[in-house]
Amino acid sequence: MANPIIQAIDVNKEYGRGKKTVAALKDVNLEIFPGEFVAVVGPSGCGKSTLLHVLSGLEAPTSGRVLIDGVDVTLISERDMPKLRAQKIGFVFQSFLLIEDLTAFENVEAVLWPSKEIPKEKQEAMALEVLREVDMLERKDHFPRQMSGGEQQRVAIARALVNSPPILFCDEPTGNLDSKTGENILKIIARLNKEKKMTVVLVTHNEDLVKYAKRVLRMKDGRVTSDR
Amino acid sequence: MNLRILFKSFRLAFRARKRVIAFIIIYAILFISVGKGLQAAMMTPGAEWPWLAMAFIVATVYAILISQFRARDIAILKCVSWSNSEILLLLVGEVMIVAISAYLVVFQLSVEILGIVAYFETDFGLLRDLQELIVVEAVPMLWTLLYVVFLQIPGLALARWRAMKIPPMRALREE
Repeated sequence: MANPIIQAIDVNKEYGRGKKTVAALKDVNLEIFPGEFVAVVGPSGCGKSTLLHVLSGLEAPTSGRVLIDGVDVTLISERDMPKLRAQKIGFVFQSFLLIEDLTAFENVEAVLWPSKEIPKEKQEAMALEVLREVDMLERKDHFPRQMSGGEQQRVAIARALVNSPPILFCDEPTGNLDSKTGENILKIIARLNKEKKMTVVLVTHNEDLVKYAKRVLRMKDGRVTSDR
Repeated sequence: MNLRILFKSFRLAFRARKRVIAFIIIYAILFISVGKGLQAAMMTPGAEWPWLAMAFIVATVYAILISQFRARDIAILKCVSWSNSEILLLLVGEVMIVAISAYLVVFQLSVEILGIVAYFETDFGLLRDLQELIVVEAVPMLWTLLYVVFLQIPGLALARWRAMKIPPMRALREE
């Protein structure tokens, strides 16, 4: 069996201090393998988004270790973290998080701007290619405010894909979309998982979307209560 | 230095039109005031310090404000793997383009006023008042640009420090 691409070992995450401490994650142990499509489900406030943030290195755990492709992200310096994100991780968030002053094309291409190894022409070609994959090529010159929620989310997916990361973290990607648009977004993510063998970690409270995942983790009160 | 980010930052700055135009006007007034101050200080040594202090305050405040205005963008860019030095370049680009644009505005305005005054050979009235108010001699004007650019450095260092402190999670918390 392949080595896990994501590993959480005795992960705890607490917020606040003293008597006001809230434990968001409690002793989470987890292994996710390359190419898996994992859905993390549970009621609001159960810690599923916190788990995603900790697994992706956006937040540090209070204790425990998180390994991405064998690299302990809890030991990585602030300076080296961008490199790891660029090579391994793509994010899709509930509120799209596009930069309002950039067009769809620029939002996608911006991920590649820091890269000196990739020439400008190739960066542009890569951005156009992923926009085509999510069927947003015709809207490439539009600003986020000129696009619908579903279109913005497709641009956000294109942005997450442009540097071909092996892992895609999706935090409630359909939370701000109507059910039909949400289904379409999930179909795109499922297709990427199937065709590109990307590892997908999807956080959702919507049980209807679980059908796209091959593995479902259920959470309650900061613990993973079932894994199947 | 990643010139691609620097050039993109110019374009990004002009997309935030209202803010950039407001600061170009503020910087233009700053250039005129400091230029006039330096011009006067040529006769009185030491009189340039209040003007330089004013330039320092405006330049620093602007650099800090940019990191504030761009906080969401900075957090998003960190999520998509930008480093702190690349983000600083984005801020430097915006500061540079505003300072240079303001300088060019004042320069162009001065040339136009001098041209009109010379054309009509007038020595009084509104045009002469405008000339008195706006036109700065070339040498103090050049010095002003150099001073403003130099005085921007501490502000940018502060802006970088503030940008460094913005966690990628900030973008998510604002959802």
